[in-house]
Order: sequence, then C-alpha cells, then structure tokens
Amino acid sequence: MLTVRDLRVSVENKEIIKGLSLEVKPGEVHAIMGLNGAGKSTLANTIAGRDDYEMTAGSIEFDGKDISELEPHERVGEGLFLGFQYPVEIPGVSNLNFMRTALNSVRRYRGEEDMSAAEFMKLVRTKAAELKMDLEMLKRFVNVGFSGGEKKRNEMVQMAVLNPKLAVLDETDSGLDIDALKVVADGINAQRKNDTAILLITHYQRLLNYVQPDVVHVMIDGKIIKSGGKELAAELEEKGYADVA
Amino acid sequence: MPELIKSTYRDQAASLSGTLAGLDSLRDKAIDRFAETGFPTARDENWRYSDIKRLRGQAFAAAQIQSDARIPDAICTTAARLVIINGHFDQERSDFGDLLQAISVRPLANHLMANSERANELRVGREATSVLNTALMRDGLVLVVPAGVEIDDPIEIIHIMHDAENAAAQVRHLVELGEGAKATILERFIGDDSAYWMNSVVQARVAEGAALNHYRMQMDGSQAIHTANAAVSVGAGGNYSACNVSLGASLARFDAQVRLLVDGANATIDGVALAASRQSHDMLVHVDHRMPSTNSDQVFRTVADALGKSSFQGKITVADGAQQTLADQSFKALLLDRTAEANAKPELEIFADDVKCSHGATIGELDAKAMFYLMSRGIDPTTARQMLVEAFTDDALARIDNAAIADALRNQIKGWMMAHVPNTSGKDAA
Ligand SMILES: Nc1ncnc2c1ncn2[C@@H]1O[C@H](COP(=O)(O)OP(=O)(O)O)[C@@H](O)[C@H]1O
Ligand SMILES: [Mg+2]
Repeated sequence: MLTVRDLRVSVENKEIIKGLSLEVKPGEVHAIMGLNGAGKSTLANTIAGRDDYEMTAGSIEFDGKDISELEPHERVGEGLFLGFQYPVEIPGVSNLNFMRTALNSVRRYRGEEDMSAAEFMKLVRTKAAELKMDLEMLKRFVNVGFSGGEKKRNEMVQMAVLNPKLAVLDETDSGLDIDALKVVADGINAQRKNDTAILLITHYQRLLNYVQPDVVHVMIDGKIIKSGGKELAAELEEKGYADVA
Repeated sequence: MPELIKSTYRDQAASLSGTLAGLDSLRDKAIDRFAETGFPTARDENWRYSDIKRLRGQAFAAAQIQSDARIPDAICTTAARLVIINGHFDQERSDFGDLLQAISVRPLANHLMANSERANELRVGREATSVLNTALMRDGLVLVVPAGVEIDDPIEIIHIMHDAENAAAQVRHLVELGEGAKATILERFIGDDSAYWMNSVVQARVAEGAALNHYRMQMDGSQAIHTANAAVSVGAGGNYSACNVSLGASLARFDAQVRLLVDGANATIDGVALAASRQSHDMLVHVDHRMPSTNSDQVFRTVADALGKSSFQGKITVADGAQQTLADQSFKALLLDRTAEANAKPELEIFADDVKCSHGATIGELDAKAMFYLMSRGIDPTTARQMLVEAFTDDALARIDNAAIADALRNQIKGWMMAHVPNTSGKDAA
C-alpha cells in the first residue's frame, strides 16, 4: 500500500531524512518509534506532501502510484490521511463546514457526488459519538479553544469521516490521559480493516498496548535502524533507544 | 493643480445657482474654499495613501440623467428601493413600498423647497471631496424617521453609474432618526466600466435612543473613483452601526466621521476592503468621543492581492472630561502576494484620564500552517484560500444584524476571491 524507497528529505537545506525505506501492506499496522528530533514528523509530513519539505532522493509510492509529485489535497483524494502531532487552530472556520468541505472535496476528486447535508450530519453524529466528541464542539471553530486531548480526538473524527486507505498518525497518543487514550485507540482500531493500513508514529510504547502493531520500526537520526515485531516496542521500553540501536 | 480645473468646477457651481432652495450661499462658500485649497496631495496626512492624480489632473463633467441603466436585483427583503442613476434620483424606477406611510423620504430639492432654512443644516465638510460635493451637489435623498418609528427591513439606496465617461455624480443624502427611532440603510454602488467619479456625502443624525444601521456595498466599475464621506452625530443612548464593504472602483475612499455627542452614545464602525490588481482602497475613521460613557468599536479587515493596496487610518479622540469612555479599534490586513500593499495608521488623542482605549493593527499573509492543514484534509488550495479569507473577513461582518445582507456580502467576497485570486497552488505560492 505504501512503499517508501531510499527517501531523503531536507528542510531549509538541512538533511533530516537520510535514506529511509518502508513498506506497509494492506491490513497492516506499523509503528515508528524514535526520540524527539529523529525526523518522524518530517517523514509524516513528507508523505502528506508538505511543500517546504524537499524530497532530494528516493520515491514514495501509494497504492502502486508515485505520489511524490501530487499536491497534499490530491494525496488525500488518493486515500491518504495525516493525523497531526500539533493540529492547527483555524479561527473563523467551523469544524462542521471544514469537514463537510473536506469530505466533498475528496468525493469530487474521486468523481463522486457531494454528500447531502443531512447524510453528512448523520455520518458526523455517528463518528463523533463513537469518539465521545460532543457535537457542540464540532460547531465551534476548528480546534480553537480545544484542549490537547480534544484536538487529538478531533483528528480521529476527521479520519473516521474521511475513511482513508492509509492513516499516518503522528503522535496521536501524546498529551492524552488514559481514558482519552482508550477512546483514540478504539478509533484507530475501528479504522483497521483488511484493505486499510495504519502508520503509527509515537515515542511511547503506551498506545501500542491498545493498538497492536504488526511491525515496529526504530528511527534514529533520519533512518530506520531496526525493524521487528511488536516485542521490539517492549524491548525499547525496557532497554531504551541507545541499547536497542 | 491646474487653474482650468478649478474654474471648470466654479462654472459648474455657478450653473447650479438657484436649483436648490437656500443653498446658494453655502455653494459659494464651498467653491471659494475649494478654489483656495484644491485637491490635496500625498503630503496631506489624510490623503497620503490615496493616489488622486486623476482627480487633480482633470475636471469631471456633471453626469447626465440616464434612463436605460439596469436596476440590480434585491439582495434582501427591503422596505423600499430608491434608485439614483448618475447622481439623479429616479423616482419612477424607485419602489417606495409602504415606507411613506411611516417616514418621510424626499429628494433634496423638495426638502429644501419646503423649508429653505434647512439648507443651514448642510455641512461644507472638511475634505476637499466633501467641500466640492457641497459646491456641486444636485440631488440626494432626505430620510426622516419620526420619533419612535422602527423600520425593520432595510431601506435600499442603489447608486448606479452608467455611460458616464469622465463625469461625476455629486450626491448628498441626509438621514435623521428621531428619538427612539430605528432604521437600516443599505447603500449599494454599482457602475459600468466608464471612468466616472462617484462622490457621495451622507449626513446622519441619530437622536436619543435611536439606532441607525448603515451598510454599504461598494461595487463601482473598474475604472471608477469612489469617494464617500459619512458625517454622523449620535445622541444619548443612541447607536450608529456601520459596515462598509469595498470591492469596486480603481480608487475607493470611505471616510467616516462619527461624533458621540451625549452620554451613552455608541458607535460601531466596521469594514472590509478587497483590493485587486491596481485597486487602492482607503478607509478613514474618526470617532470623536465628546462626552462621558460613550463607546465605540471598530473592526476592519482588508485583503490585497498582487499590486493591490489597502489602507486604514483610524483616529479616536476623547475630549477632556469624557470619562468612562470605551474605544476599541482592530485593523488586520491580509496580503495575498508580495506586490500587495497595506498601510495602517492608528491614532489616539485622549484628553480624559479614566478611559479604556485600545487599538491593534496587524499586516500578514495567509497562515501557511492553516493552508497545509486544510489541504491535508483534501481541500484544494483555491478553496482553502477562500475559506481562510472568508474566515478573516467575517470578523468585520459579525455585527450585521440582517442575515440576508451578511450573506450577500459574504457571497460578494467569495465572488471576488474567485475572480481575482489566481488558481495558484500552495506549491506555486510558496
Ligand atoms: N520546519 C522546520 N524548520 C526547520 N527545522 C525543522 C523543521 N521541522 C523539523 N525540523 C528539524 O528536523 C528535525 C526532525 O524534526 P521532527 O521531524 O519534528 O522530529 P520528530 O517528529 O521525530 O520529533 C529536528 O532537528 C527539527 O529541529
Ligand atoms: Mg514529531
């Protein structure tokens, strides 16, 4: 589903991703773990198409298609979703308007009809309830005045509404208390299907107790230095990054 | 400034002698003053951002009566639709609805004919454009809302300029709200692509406890000059609430002078200006707090695209003894291109010590993080920009209490974005 080959990425002329390869197959959940500054968010944002992150080498294939020249919104149309480490506040734009515009943009990209307002509200109501998100919050401006946990749950509502083939979730677990973490984990597990895949970026093992990964990668200084099964996460927790590396 | 221009305007003023009862001496005074000062230059503080070469370089003829202009559709339910074409009130094409049963609406000439003393209430004005308007005014509307009368639906005044190359309309409206009266005036300005000058002055008096909403939708033609002055005084507990949306003309100026004359007088003056290529939009506001416990609030949002320019000069004065005054002013400009320009000049002159006055001005670009966030949800860059611009300008529309008008203005803003902001992607723009 996602194939990253020998990827190199520079930000402001400084190389951050230094030759990284990764293959995620349909139905799989991969976790990328690494300390702060390893380049995890840079990788996630590059996959999503952020324009100030310059790909200097390598390729990103999604569903058999090279997406490295596609714009961010086109990648979403192809079925990609990025859950932000720091969701952005947008005063003046309501969550509902934002999500409806997003969903219909994606549908149009795929040559589908817009979803009616009634149908959309039904969908949002269901997804928000599953993620224990108050519908009133969704009437407010995007992420404005939301707590850290509410922002992350809002990311999950958006993911559920857009129903992507591949979700890249950048530290969706950070800043959550245990109850919120379980809700978010349920949301992620609900998105886990035979034909979808999830790339979880985290630097704690905590989330992986609730979302069992198929593959765990350890990322240090812009490279994946080790990959293994879910036991690798436990090993990291125990020994720390230095010893595992 | 060439003498020929001054003498042309003097001739125009002379030819109007006797047309409006009681007005001749005021005209004389105004044309003398204009002859003395002429149009300002960029050295004049109030005009430093306006390029008025065209006003200084040519004399505009008086725009002629026209009858074949198309009247635009209404944008909301109205109490009346009053049509002014090339500066002349067109009674036949106006629709008074039931308005005349509740208030008095008369052309300026009839108003003065009934009582020429009332010419003394007309102001010469401070700026050269207002002064020349006084010297050359021909027509306009006088709306008098009696005490206690509340008109719910907006009274629409539609200004149309048609086939008016190198011609000017000098329009003067008077609006009077009696004690406790309420009214909403929606002024619309549209025109064809002829190089005309629309020069409008509105004088309004809001009596004790009265409330006047004054909405302006300026969509003059692309070659037009639009200059407008609103001179407003507000009595005790009265409220003046204005929103000026400026989209049209090559040079547009809206200059509001609001005097809060008695305790408890309030004013909110908001505005949006969208300046596309080679457009210059200036908004000037002076709120004068004369007495204690008077409140004013201003929210201005402007957007400038490539080679567009938007400027704001906001002045708040608080007189000695005008304690417990609250005055706030917020100006934000959004530049959509490196060649766009915005200027802000806030000014506070405060002679009382127990007051709360604040102002803020920011000039910035579209938030790249917000752009990426929207795009990362599948929204294309053009739509994303539109959403952010709309969110930005919405701040200044929040106080419009008529949903249809607010929606119409939002649609105009959306239309402007679609027409003027190129279909650039986040990538190309960066
Ligand atoms: N926009 C940026 N501008 C400059 N440096 C950046 C930017 N984004 C990330 N970096 C740098 O790239 C490196 C990797 O950051 P990041 O990808 O956020 O790591 P992680 O998500 O693993 O904590 C860090 O050294 C960070 O300072
Ligand atoms: Mg990170």
